[in-house]
Amino acid sequence: MIQFYNVSKKYSGDAAAAVKDLTLQVGKGEFLYITGASGAGKTTLLRMLYAAEKPTRGQILIDRQNISRIRSRQIPFLRRKIGVVFQDFKLLQSRTVYENVAFALEAQGKKRYEVSKKVYQVLKEVGLEHRLQRKPLELSGGEQQRVAIARALVVDPLILLADEPSGNLDQTVTFEIMDLFKRANARGTTVLLATHDHSLNQRFPRRVLTLDQGVLVGDQRPSHM
Amino acid sequence: MLDKIRYFILRALRNMRQWPFLCSASILTMAIALATVATFFLVVVNIDQLATRWTREVQVVAYLQKPPAAQNLAALTNKLKSFPEVESVNYVSQSTAMQRFKKHLGSDAGLLDGVNQKLLPASFELGLRPAFRNQQGIATVIEQLEHTLDVDDLHYGQKWLKRFNDFAKMLKFVGVILGGFLLLGALFIVSNTIKLTLYARRDELEIMALVGATMRFIKIPFMLEGAIQGLIGGLLSLVFLTLSFIFIISRSLNSFWLTPTDFDLLFLTVNQQIILVLAGVVLGVLGSLSSLRRFVRI
Repeated sequence: MIQFYNVSKKYSGDAAAAVKDLTLQVGKGEFLYITGASGAGKTTLLRMLYAAEKPTRGQILIDRQNISRIRSRQIPFLRRKIGVVFQDFKLLQSRTVYENVAFALEAQGKKRYEVSKKVYQVLKEVGLEHRLQRKPLELSGGEQQRVAIARALVVDPLILLADEPSGNLDQTVTFEIMDLFKRANARGTTVLLATHDHSLNQRFPRRVLTLDQGVLVGDQRPSHM
Repeated sequence: MLDKIRYFILRALRNMRQWPFLCSASILTMAIALATVATFFLVVVNIDQLATRWTREVQVVAYLQKPPAAQNLAALTNKLKSFPEVESVNYVSQSTAMQRFKKHLGSDAGLLDGVNQKLLPASFELGLRPAFRNQQGIATVIEQLEHTLDVDDLHYGQKWLKRFNDFAKMLKFVGVILGGFLLLGALFIVSNTIKLTLYARRDELEIMALVGATMRFIKIPFMLEGAIQGLIGGLLSLVFLTLSFIFIISRSLNSFWLTPTDFDLLFLTVNQQIILVLAGVVLGVLGSLSSLRRFVRI
């Protein structure tokens, strides 16, 4: 599903590369953690996957499409295959829960009746069907993150990227969120979750990639896999 | 397709409702900018109109050494009328000249009792065609007059005309330059105001791009929003303009330019009013487009 071949990314003005010579394969339906200290290159790796950054060197393939030199007008179509969840949720504060989730489908030009049906379905799945008309600031942090996950999942993505999704949440809520990722993964979505919270892997053991100063220093799979 | 158009319009309206302050700021800026440019246009148009009116009074008066014989008068008048520069010919006999003088003196007309009716000279008053109401036109007419009539004296307000011509030229020049600067300034201010409103909504633009919205999908509602704001701004500028016309332009022109009492100041024609409102729409769309280019990066 995802292949990296000798990928490096160096930001202009920085002395060192954020990601160095990364070669990696992620299979369809895999769930993996990307760990490492702050500045290890986790976010850069994810940003390259949804084409917010282009690699300085190397090739990245997603679903057999080479996205290393993707044209600007093709990027929206790539992003429709990818759901992204952030630590700070990135919700539109002026819109309701329903509108925030519907936004992702409307952006893809889906019909109104399709949108409402799908949004209700996914909000029910994340347990927020009773909060449809609330604005994000009226919700708890965990609920806001569930809205963000609903927005990412509503388009049935091939890949779900999560950048420190539990960074602002307590442990109970984090485990609830992890449950949502696991369910998405069980339906076939490939999940890449960047985190420095080792407790997640202890409770939900999965393949773990470890980055250090942009270099892949570990790729461990749980013994049962 | 209809579903999409409906969605875009609804989104544009909803955005405006969600950001009432930013939206009002854009509308007001556009209204004030357009009204300023239009006010300036009105001032220039009215001064120009006034100038045209003044030039209508440009005439050459030829005072004759002796009045023409009655049987020659018609032929002489026709000959003067045949000059290409001449629009009208009016013969003022000695007695008519005296009557005018008496009328001018009003209650003091009695002073002229017993004065010889033939004291004042007879004259021809020649009105010029619009294209010849200038120094060169007058010079040509004078030259022809000197060959045709026994002229004693000529009056044609040469100095006044030169000064006036210079003023009219300068007015048009300054008008074009200032109008151009005003228009550029208006464009700059409107574009920056829209940029500020988009800056406040950059999160929205970022999230739209993140969930796979195409450039067109992101831009159309903003452009529509710009067009709606421009339309309202254009209409509002028409209101401002009407008020400034009533309370500022007409009053100041009337006092500074000593307009004749029968001179009606010009307001924008219906077509010009439509152009003003459409200019608002174009300004809104262009302002949005130029700002979007800066903030939307996929």
